[in-house]
Amino acid sequence: MSTLVGQARRHGFLVVLVLIFAFFSLVTPHFASGANLVAMLHTMAPVVLMSAGMALVVLAGKLDISIGSIAFLSSTFTVLLMNDLGVHPVIAFAAALVAGALLGALNGFIVVVLGINPLIATLGTMIAFRGVALQLTGAILIPLPESVRALGNLSIGPVFVDILIVALLVLVIDQVHRRTVFGRQVNAIGNGEEVAERIGIPVRKRLFLAFVLSGLLASIGGLIALVQVGSISAYLGRGMEFTAVAVVVVGGISLFGGRGNILPGVVLGALTFEMIENGLNQMSANPYAYRLVTGAIIFVAMYVDALKSGRLQSVRRVALGSS
Amino acid sequence: MSAILELRGISKRFAGVAALTDAGMTVEAGGAHALMGANGAGKSTLMNVLGGVVPKDEGLILIDGRPVEITGPRDARRHGIAFVHQELNMLPSMTVAENVLIDELPTSGGLVNRKAMRTLVAPILERLGCTFGPDEVVETLGMGDRQMVEVARALAGKPRIVIFDEPTSSLSDREKRRLFDVIGRLKADGTAIIYITHFMDEIFEVCERVTVMRNGQRVGSGPIRDYRPADIVALMLGDVHEQDRLRAPQVVNTSPMLEVEGLHNGALADVGLTLRPGEIVGLWGLLGSGRTEILRALVGLDPIDRGTIRFGADGRLLPVTPRELHAEVGFVTEDRRGEGLLLPLSVASNISFGNLDRLLGRLGLIDRKREQAFAQGFADRLRIKLASIRQPVRTLSGGNQQKVVFARWLGTQPKLFLLDEPTRGLDVGAKTEILRLTVELAEAGAAVLLVASELEELMRVCDRYLIVQRGRITGELPGTADKDMLLQAVSEARPVERQAA
Repeated sequence: MSTLVGQARRHGFLVVLVLIFAFFSLVTPHFASGANLVAMLHTMAPVVLMSAGMALVVLAGKLDISIGSIAFLSSTFTVLLMNDLGVHPVIAFAAALVAGALLGALNGFIVVVLGINPLIATLGTMIAFRGVALQLTGAILIPLPESVRALGNLSIGPVFVDILIVALLVLVIDQVHRRTVFGRQVNAIGNGEEVAERIGIPVRKRLFLAFVLSGLLASIGGLIALVQVGSISAYLGRGMEFTAVAVVVVGGISLFGGRGNILPGVVLGALTFEMIENGLNQMSANPYAYRLVTGAIIFVAMYVDALKSGRLQSVRRVALGSS
Repeated sequence: MSAILELRGISKRFAGVAALTDAGMTVEAGGAHALMGANGAGKSTLMNVLGGVVPKDEGLILIDGRPVEITGPRDARRHGIAFVHQELNMLPSMTVAENVLIDELPTSGGLVNRKAMRTLVAPILERLGCTFGPDEVVETLGMGDRQMVEVARALAGKPRIVIFDEPTSSLSDREKRRLFDVIGRLKADGTAIIYITHFMDEIFEVCERVTVMRNGQRVGSGPIRDYRPADIVALMLGDVHEQDRLRAPQVVNTSPMLEVEGLHNGALADVGLTLRPGEIVGLWGLLGSGRTEILRALVGLDPIDRGTIRFGADGRLLPVTPRELHAEVGFVTEDRRGEGLLLPLSVASNISFGNLDRLLGRLGLIDRKREQAFAQGFADRLRIKLASIRQPVRTLSGGNQQKVVFARWLGTQPKLFLLDEPTRGLDVGAKTEILRLTVELAEAGAAVLLVASELEELMRVCDRYLIVQRGRITGELPGTADKDMLLQAVSEARPVERQAA
């Protein structure tokens, strides 16, 4: 019995996930169907990828809330290159990735070189990047060329290709975090920037690269969303940054930095929100109810994070007191 | 034994102020060399020069007799120099092996090789006699084990010179023993040790040689058997010029105002003391002895594990919590900015800050005229030199800033003052004025507990001394005690038992 409670506590989050799944499976007829599960994975693919990118920054103890705007702006480049200049789609897609990395580098420059608080810095670029993109598109809906739009429905068997791409990329990012010098040192910086500095970790280089990767992954996420929708609109990537923060936190990655893992963290986090949105939809609930529930979940996740770090601090104090 | 490292004629100035003047030391392989000095003596600057953290202005660093330039921390490590810092640089959520190797992780094929990490770290841990493995997460370890992780990190680069900077300040006795064993083993392997500490007894146990610094210079150096503890303390403190007392020592027999019993926390053990109205009691101990920690624990700035505090301004002692006591005492520290002065605001605002309820005019708004008159009164009384009561505190000299802190407390009329190095960084004239002010407080019936690093200052005002060593009060001397008695009192290496809770 006690081990059952212990298990529940250790995997507290998984229990919640199972309960959510069970609830919607019971109250709606189609929620647990295979088609719906694939649909959910399909919908959450861009979010998962962008959250994984942001997770790298969060693990370093920073924040990047410009990713939604980076997704929008880099996708805008792609669409305009293809539609107005007739550039080949492959080159246009590559251009988006370069743009994402460069925009991330700009974030990195502002945070690392100019020393501006990352929240403020990326709030600034979030607004500015979106502004540029709106100006370029004239804030109107621009459809993709027919040939490219077909990519949105590409699937292998029942599984959409974008799910596979995201799964592969997230696996790679997780390995980058767990098993590369960069990833370990980013994690170390999140444990304490000053400590990392004193130990001799090249803190600035690592932080800069984390922002670049976050931008790059945001642009890929943007492209996937773009192809899914089939056109670019002023809404692309909007609010995605906050969804990503929520996914990261619910996925057990501490906003204080240095704690948590990208896998399974961001997948479970994204799944939580996707299940609730999808489930409420199927229940034909008031669409605004989703926001309230989402808000409550973020609050609980943050509170748990604060409790955890509070508990660790008291453990530290006990360790000090015993000396 | 041969000299592995020599620092020769090192000088360093910060913004025109000399931190090191022709300082140096010679360290031999297979031995431990104690580096002693009071706060600000230049020990850390000298070690920072050696570690490549601070560039030197002049002087030579010789390793194996050859001059070397050390351009940065990594460069220092390349020359075989490693630091074990006083504050532990831990990455709590990561494993021991990651903590040890984080700046030089072994890789294969671009990925971190965990197996290689284990094979690199496990022998070091074994050599240190650690009971934990490379895969344990650091936040699950106790302080002593974390200290070992710090040592392991220093040893990972196979250094020839290891600098221990106050390694024992957070260790229990048992953990300290272990560290000393490790140092012994390092010496046996031919590593040179530089050992910095405030604890006199440790250097006689661990070190063969000693260098004492004062005011950025080497004032003594030689085999440690040539020194007695009191010699080293005398060298550290320099000549104590006994100055005229500002008030003859009083023997006060009034009923106590403050009684403290059995105060325990991480830094203190069984601290008890009694204070009476009208007396000035000096807490006398070397830096790191726990004197500041006593004051901090009394007012709740550091948590206490157990112990009782009883306080009564009118002679009736009642138990109080540290937080309650904080509201009753005037607490002045060396950190004038950190602890209460609002530098951009005017002198008047700063003085009246704690007394605004008495300065309200109609509509409950602050009456500017009354505020200024109130502040001016204190400024005159404390002889604060200023052009205008409206001038920002930031523009005052250190001594006058400190007087503003006092003025604020005088406004609230506390009966008990805790003064922690109130004269630090002030010139001689300002020091005397602050001490005179302290006497005035006692004359007016307040009880004063005073901490000062400079013995001559304590000796000008104290009516009694409580001797502080290793977080305990180990003795008491009357106000008539002379310098030698006081130096002797803090030099005695007393057997220490600190139990691990």
